[in-house]
Amino acid sequence: MQPASQANGKIHLDPDNAEHGLAQLVLTVIELLRQIVERHAIRRVEGGTLTDEQIENLGEALMNLEEKMEELKEIFGLDDDDLNIDLGPLGSLL
Amino acid sequence: MDHLIYLYGLIPTKEIASQPLPSLKDFEGSGELYTMEIGSITAVVCRLDADKYSEDQIKERINNDMEWLQEKAFHHHETVMQLAKIFTVIPLKFCTLYKSEESLKDTVQSNESKMTEAFEAIAGKEEWNLKIYCDDKQLKEQVSQNNPAIEEKRKEISELPRGKQFFEKKKLDKLVDSELEKEKNRVSEDIHAHLTEFALKGHVKRTWSSEVTGRKEEMTWNSVYLIKKSDVESFLEQVQQYEAKMEEAGWKFEASGPWPAYHFSSFA
Repeated sequence: MQPASQANGKIHLDPDNAEHGLAQLVLTVIELLRQIVERHAIRRVEGGTLTDEQIENLGEALMNLEEKMEELKEIFGLDDDDLNIDLGPLGSLL
Repeated sequence: MDHLIYLYGLIPTKEIASQPLPSLKDFEGSGELYTMEIGSITAVVCRLDADKYSEDQIKERINNDMEWLQEKAFHHHETVMQLAKIFTVIPLKFCTLYKSEESLKDTVQSNESKMTEAFEAIAGKEEWNLKIYCDDKQLKEQVSQNNPAIEEKRKEISELPRGKQFFEKKKLDKLVDSELEKEKNRVSEDIHAHLTEFALKGHVKRTWSSEVTGRKEEMTWNSVYLIKKSDVESFLEQVQQYEAKMEEAGWKFEASGPWPAYHFSSFA
């Protein structure tokens, strides 16, 4: 099997090691959602309609989410490039 | 059967009078190239079957038949390179086709003075390409460490409550990214300006994405130079000096050549 760290924009679904490919696929989707949420949150904060307390809560939640994501990547031996899928003519996912 | 004319390059007739065209395979690989003398300019061409190489058929193959494209583009490039080794050549782009020998003749005749100027501009000179690559990660560290404004900002952020820190850090990351781009451009432009002193002309090209280069480092700069043969060595020395000086900081320099003067012989 090709190691997942060999970043070529492909998900490696190997029959003998399916859970690893699956973890990569699942984390890719989660990472995409996380980044969308993060960007949206930044827009809300910059929009200036949130109270200090709301900003604080939001920031803390996102920071924890980011840390958790790093942990998961560590556990499955994946790096940022592994969580980016090549969408052909559309460019890459993230 | 109708023929199209595939044009590889144009050569001053007086050069080909003293040295004949070597034997070179044609586009299909079954025949040979031949020359067409059109006054002071000689065209190096081959015939192609018009039924097999219509504009649509060529487009279709270029877009869908990678193997064919690779083989033929290589053939074109190799052929022009060989010509450029022996003659002063105005190289033509891949798949430059004329409907007939007549139409090629017309084009050459009506552009003769511009082509003669192009010959003068490129005779005794070489085209060299320079690509500069950067290790963004390494450079980012340097930018964020050596920039007092960023340092200051970082201190400010560390005193904020945890949640706010997150957003401010993201903002700062963005700032570092844009500073990095500016810095890379500034450095590359300086290098380009300096190298252009060793060349007759310099021309900045589009950089390629890492999907095209297949490299981890970002291509930061892509440029071509027209250099007098006698100056090529000092040009390359300069590039090497930059490499030696900046390699440790995450910069890579790649000079390649000599190339046929694709970028400095346009007559259109």
